Amino acid sequence: MPLEVQGQSLNPLGLGSLAGLGRPSLLTALAFAAAGAVLCLLGARKARRDLSDAGIRASVAAAAFTVFATFCLLTAFFAHDFSIAYVASYSSRSLTGAYTFSALWGGMEGSLLLWALLLTVLGAIALRRASSAPRDLVAWAGAVFSSISCFFLFLLAVPADPFARLATAPADGQGLNPLLQSPGMLIHPPLLYLGFVGFSIPFAFGVAALLSKRLDDEWLRATRRWTLLAWSSLSIGIVLGGAWAYTELGWGGYWAWDPVENASFMPWLTATAFLHSIVIQEKRRMLKVWNLSLILLTYVLAVFGTFLTRSGILSSIHTFSEGDVGKYFLPYLALVLIAGIALIATRRDALSSENRLDSLLSRESAFIANNVLFLAAAFTVLWGTVYPIVNEWLTGLRLSVGPPFFNRAFIPIGLAIIALTGLGPLISWRRMRAAGLLRLLRVPLAIAVAVVAALGLGGVDSFGALLAFGLCAFTATAVGSEFVRGSRVHRRREALSWPAALSRTVARNRRRYGGYVVHLGVVLIVIGFAGGWAKVERSRELDPGESMRIGAYALSYEGLRSSETPEKQVNDAAIRVTRGSEPVTMLHPQRNFHLASRQTQSEVAIRTTPLEDLYVVVTAVDADSAIVLRAFVNPLTWWIWAGALVMLGGMGVLMSGPSPVTVPVPAPRRLSHAAAS
Amino acid sequence: MVRAIAAAVACLILLASPAAAAPEDVANDISNEIMSPFCDGVTLHDCPSQEALELRNRIEAWVSEGQSRTQIMSHLEREFGAGIRAVPPAEGAGFVAWIPPLVALAAGAAGAWAIVRKWSRRTQAAPRVSVTMTSEEGHRLDQELAMLRAAASREGEWP
Repeated sequence: MPLEVQGQSLNPLGLGSLAGLGRPSLLTALAFAAAGAVLCLLGARKARRDLSDAGIRASVAAAAFTVFATFCLLTAFFAHDFSIAYVASYSSRSLTGAYTFSALWGGMEGSLLLWALLLTVLGAIALRRASSAPRDLVAWAGAVFSSISCFFLFLLAVPADPFARLATAPADGQGLNPLLQSPGMLIHPPLLYLGFVGFSIPFAFGVAALLSKRLDDEWLRATRRWTLLAWSSLSIGIVLGGAWAYTELGWGGYWAWDPVENASFMPWLTATAFLHSIVIQEKRRMLKVWNLSLILLTYVLAVFGTFLTRSGILSSIHTFSEGDVGKYFLPYLALVLIAGIALIATRRDALSSENRLDSLLSRESAFIANNVLFLAAAFTVLWGTVYPIVNEWLTGLRLSVGPPFFNRAFIPIGLAIIALTGLGPLISWRRMRAAGLLRLLRVPLAIAVAVVAALGLGGVDSFGALLAFGLCAFTATAVGSEFVRGSRVHRRREALSWPAALSRTVARNRRRYGGYVVHLGVVLIVIGFAGGWAKVERSRELDPGESMRIGAYALSYEGLRSSETPEKQVNDAAIRVTRGSEPVTMLHPQRNFHLASRQTQSEVAIRTTPLEDLYVVVTAVDADSAIVLRAFVNPLTWWIWAGALVMLGGMGVLMSGPSPVTVPVPAPRRLSHAAAS
Repeated sequence: MVRAIAAAVACLILLASPAAAAPEDVANDISNEIMSPFCDGVTLHDCPSQEALELRNRIEAWVSEGQSRTQIMSHLEREFGAGIRAVPPAEGAGFVAWIPPLVALAAGAAGAWAIVRKWSRRTQAAPRVSVTMTSEEGHRLDQELAMLRAAASREGEWP
């Protein structure tokens, strides 16, 4: 599809602007969502399937009109209809096709439209597919879901109208922020929103379970894969956000504990706790109140994150737009939170656990400890994010809470979670003898100690890094031993080769081993984080022909090449990299001036290897072609992206597993081990 | 095993003793500990503006002159206000920032421990139940077996 010819964007949709139909379409979607909420509510209360089915059809219609409204806005972008204020603010004639598409979510109104689009479409699919769930549960879920859709469609209809028109259309738009003109930005925001919106499905079904008093595991069964899909999307979205920051922002890092980053991380933490604790409900019918509370909290934090970043209450490098929607979010959040807590409280008796703990040393206890740690981590991030506002409100004094606070408060909890990730799989369900656990711990602990000793002798001089590497070795060995134990059983029983036995082990219990693969991915990511201990940074002003040293590298600045495209003036620096006398590579960092937005932006250049990244960025250029070159050597960063891919693979395995069924766990044998049983 | 771990921890602590750092590294550390007065929500280290670059250079010059971290932080606080510190001070209003996470973790751990103990005690106190199933339990078992079979038959499909 040719999107650009000689700097002129084409309209791939082959249509003029349909923006005129956008607002009526959104209003129709709002009307259908409201009708869906009322019909589903009536259907649920009167036990009338015809009404609830009509309600679900109305929610499908709301989704269809939201899709059409989004299409209308896209036609306005591609037709350069700058009479639409949103189009004029976030695109320009020189913007290439792909970024003209992603400009859709470049600002607040479009982001909310994307949110509403995903919400209505996913909601309609989830409700239509929940055919095996009890009808009253689906009817109540339809009512809750349509109510959520109403809120977001209302925002688009009143305070954040993406189709608002300007009195006079400018000849050209202001263009998309250059930072957003990155391949990562084509998929990072939709994935994050898919994660946020995805959690509204288990939330809606959880509330429906409370309303319908169907407090068994049906709501979990109906939403399990949606929960996994949402969690996977949010996880990958967060990692892609880190990759975007790393390659676009030019400060050599991937995570800055920025309020927007924290906004996505908080629901991820509570959702991760939820994913673990629902296993206890599935297997032991315990923690029902807790699970409903966790999904309520996850949904509230996802909406709260949107409030934080869209209200302008906190400043952030990621806040590319803000507006008047903040005042609508707070009452909505308060309503959801109060109603949710009240509902859980009124059903408390019916939610009591059907089983009790057999022993303090059991998998159940490990899961509970896991939940405490994840919740403490989420609260720490939440507190650090809102503390400046709370403090200013109480004392009038503006204090800052930046990365060092989060690192000091969060990293100990994070490391405890990693330790538990290794310990948990070794503990059997219901009961385990301490001697048996110690026996299983011997090999992982010995390997962890050996890794720490080897790294310490090899020159790693950071206590935190040694602890992190040691815990990673412990957890990787413990999780790896699960694969070995399971494969050994299949190998003996079926006389298979090791690869075939491993494949059979994973295939027979995709949920468990998919989860373990995710854990191994997390370990790889933590190895990447721990590599930051040895990060080196240097900054020098260089004239052509001069060089600087960083770590084992020499960087020679050979000169600047300037050119111009329809979008920007490009200044491309040629940096020859050598190591000792060996040539390594040529790097080409750029310092560009974007014509539409009148902004100067650096484009970093990175040489990536599993051992370390050499990262260079030009932070200033003068008329004599002298540059300020900032260079970083970032050890082990590659492992973060590799770990994310492993996590993604694990999620694929996990999602391909069967839906949960409540299976009473067999009584423990001596040294019982689930993998071997 | 315990002795080996204790020895490893002792080695870790010994290894963690800091070495003398170059002025640029100290300046980078300090710029990681303060918020940028020129960009919203980022540390001075991460701020891409020209003003931030100049302030980083000034900090490096102060380090090269032999000024201590405390002196440099005082300079910066006088010039830009208390909000320039990226970490709230562990005193006065700033101290409050550090308390709730610790309290939350301790309360969460205590709460979880109390619940686990309570559940565990109930189990120990509970009388042994007969293995004979009531008709309701038998029905429930049948239902769950049916669910198991259904789940096995649709393995790999989306619900």
